[in-house]
Amino acid sequence: MANIRCVNIRKSYGGHSVIENLNLDIADHEFVVFLGPSGCGKSTMLRMIAGLEDITGGTVSIGDRDVTHLHPGERGVAMVFQSYALYPHMTVEENIAFGLRRQKVPQAEIARRVQHVAGLLGLESFLQRKPKNLSGGQQQRVAMARAMIKTPKLFLFDEPLSNLDAKLRERLRTEIRKMHLDLKTTTIFVTHDQLEAMTIADRIVLMRAGAIEQQGTPSEIFDRPATRFVADFIGSPAMNFRGCVVSRDGGSVSLVAGSIRLEVPASEFDGLQHGAKVEVGLRPSKMDLAAEGDLNAISGKIILVENMGSEAQVIVDVDGQEMSFVTKAFRTLEPGQPVSFSIEPASIHVFSKETGRSLRKAG
Amino acid sequence: MVRLIRSSLARIFLALMVFVALTPILWTILGAFKRLKDIVTPVPKLFFSPTLENFVTILQNPSIRQGLGHSVIVVGASVIIGALLGVPAAYSLARHVRTLKGDLQFFVLSLRFMPPVAIAIPFIVLYLDLGLYDTLAGLILVYLVTTISTVIWLSVPAFERVPKEIEEAAAMEGCGPGEIFLKFSLPIAMPSLFGALVFTFVLVWNELLLALTLAAGNATLPVVAASITSLGKEVPWGVINASTVILVIPPLVFIGLLMSFINGMMKPARR
Ligand SMILES: Nc1ncnc2c1ncn2[C@@H]1O[C@H](COP(=O)(O)OP(=O)(O)OP(=O)(O)O)[C@@H](O)[C@H]1O
Ligand SMILES: [Mg+2]
Repeated sequence: MANIRCVNIRKSYGGHSVIENLNLDIADHEFVVFLGPSGCGKSTMLRMIAGLEDITGGTVSIGDRDVTHLHPGERGVAMVFQSYALYPHMTVEENIAFGLRRQKVPQAEIARRVQHVAGLLGLESFLQRKPKNLSGGQQQRVAMARAMIKTPKLFLFDEPLSNLDAKLRERLRTEIRKMHLDLKTTTIFVTHDQLEAMTIADRIVLMRAGAIEQQGTPSEIFDRPATRFVADFIGSPAMNFRGCVVSRDGGSVSLVAGSIRLEVPASEFDGLQHGAKVEVGLRPSKMDLAAEGDLNAISGKIILVENMGSEAQVIVDVDGQEMSFVTKAFRTLEPGQPVSFSIEPASIHVFSKETGRSLRKAG
Repeated sequence: MVRLIRSSLARIFLALMVFVALTPILWTILGAFKRLKDIVTPVPKLFFSPTLENFVTILQNPSIRQGLGHSVIVVGASVIIGALLGVPAAYSLARHVRTLKGDLQFFVLSLRFMPPVAIAIPFIVLYLDLGLYDTLAGLILVYLVTTISTVIWLSVPAFERVPKEIEEAAAMEGCGPGEIFLKFSLPIAMPSLFGALVFTFVLVWNELLLALTLAAGNATLPVVAASITSLGKEVPWGVINASTVILVIPPLVFIGLLMSFINGMMKPARR
C-alpha cells in the first residue's frame, strides 16, 4: 500500500510532446480513475507509472520511494491490460503463479495463495485450462488474479472492461470495486467511459490533451464542472449549451437568449457584467416538465421523445435550436406538441466564452 | 438431396486429387522394394515378393553412406547455427529496431536473390586460396548464408505476431529482456518458427549446385543421387527408388522430432 506522487511529468515521442508538466498526488488506499477522450494521454500516464514507458522529464514516487528509473518489476506494481495479456502457453494456474514461482516462494505457500485468489474470483474449476479455452470474462478474471496474487502496492488497470459486453462489464465493475473495499490497495483505473468512471471512482482525474482538466469526486465533477469541456464530457444525455447575454436589472441577474430567460443568484457567480456574452450549460437530467408559474421555464415544440424505459429524453425545438430534457412523465408527450420545462437556478452552469472556465464562485 | 450429391461429388474430386498427388510417391516406395525384373515389365505389377536388396545395395555402397553422413553433418550444422544466430537476430529486428528495419529486412532477403552459380564461382576462388575448397566446413559456411537469411526473413513476422502486452506483463513480473525472450516470446512464436526451420532444412537438404561445385570430393546425398542416375544404360531403377526413399526419410524424421519437441515446449514442465 502506498501513496503515489507524480511531479512535473513530461512525455514526448521524438519532438512531439504528449504530456506537459503534469502534477498528481494519489493518497494511500485511494481509487483514482483517469478519464478523458481518446488520445489524451491516459494510457501513457499509466504506463509511465508502471515503468513500461520512459519518462521524458519529472519524477514518479510510489510510497515515498523515487521509482522514476526503476525496472517495472521493481516498483511493486501490478497491471491489468485491456487485452488481458495472458500467457497463452501456460495454464491458468501457471499464469497466476508465474510471478511467485519466479520469486522462489515455497510451493505450499504458492498453492495456498492460488487457491485463495481463485476462490475470490471464481476460477477454481478453470485452473488447469489454457487461456484460449476461456471466455472473455473468465480471461479478465485470470488477469485480475494474476495481478492480485502478488499483493502489490499499486494496481493499474488500463481499460480492463472495454472488450466485454455491457452486462458483464457492469458485474466486473462491481467486483473490482468490492475487491478494492476488501484489499484497500491503491488503484489507478483508466477508462474513457464516463459512466464507468462515475460509478467506480473515489476521485476522477479528467484529462484533456495531456493535461489535467479537473480532478475531484464524481459528484464534484458532475455538479461543479470547472470548464465547459468537463461539463460536456460528463453526463449522459449530454449537456445543452446556449450562448446567452447577461442582463442586470437591479439585484437580479438574467441570462437571455431569444425566448429563453434564466434568472440566477448574482452572488454565486463572478464576472456577470451587464451585456457580457457567456455560455450557459443546462443538464437534461436536471430539468423536468415545468409546473404552472415555475421560475426559469423554457418553452418549445417537441421534436422527438426517446423512451429509455423508466424515463425519456425529450428533444425540443427552442428558437430553432435543439435542447433536451429528461422526464418520467413522458407517456402523454407527442412530437409536435408545445412543451415547457424548467431548471433549478442551482443547476445552471455559466462558462466564460473566452476561456471556457466556469464562472461559478468556488466553495 | 442435391446437397448430398454435391458433397459426395466434392469428396470424390478431393479423393482423385489426393490420388494423383500421392501415386508417384507410392509407386516410388513400392519400386524401392521390387526387383528389377518386377519393375521393367510391360504390365505394372501391384503384387510381388518384396525385397530389401535395393536398400542393402545402397547402404553397402560406400559413396552413398558417406553422402548421407556428409549431408547430415553439413545440413545439421548449417541449420542449427543458422537458427541459433538467425532467431535472436529476427527477434531484435522485430522488437528493438525501428529505423532502417525495412531496409535491413530487404538486405537479408536480397541475399537470396543471387543465383547459386553467381555465388559458387567467387567462392571457388576464395576457397582455393583459403584451403576450404572441398571441405565440409566450407560448404557449411556457404549454406549459412542461406540458412541465416531464410531463418531471419521467416522469423521476423513470427515474433511480430507475439502481442507486445504479453512481454510487458512479463516485464511487470520482474523478467529481464533475456528471460522475456526465452520464456515468453520464443515459446509463443515457436509454432511459426518451426515452419521456418523446416523450410530452411528442406532448402539446404535438397541443395545440389553449390555442393557439386564447392565440395565434389566430399559429396552430399543429392550429389551422390545425381551421379547414380547417370550410371549408363543398365539403369538400376530399384536402387534409385530406394535412394529416393532414403533421401526423403531424414527431413520427415526431422519434422517429427521437431514436432514432439514443440509439443514439449508448449507444456512447460511442472515442478
Ligand atoms: N509510441 C508512440 N509514438 C508516438 N506517439 C504516441 C505513441 N504512443 C502514444 N502516442 C501518442 O500519445 C498520445 C496519448 O496516447 P495514449 O495512448 O496515452 O492515449 P489514451 O488517452 O490512452 O487514449 P485511448 O483512450 O484511445 O486509449 C496520443 O496522441 C498518441 O498518438
Ligand atoms: Mg489508452
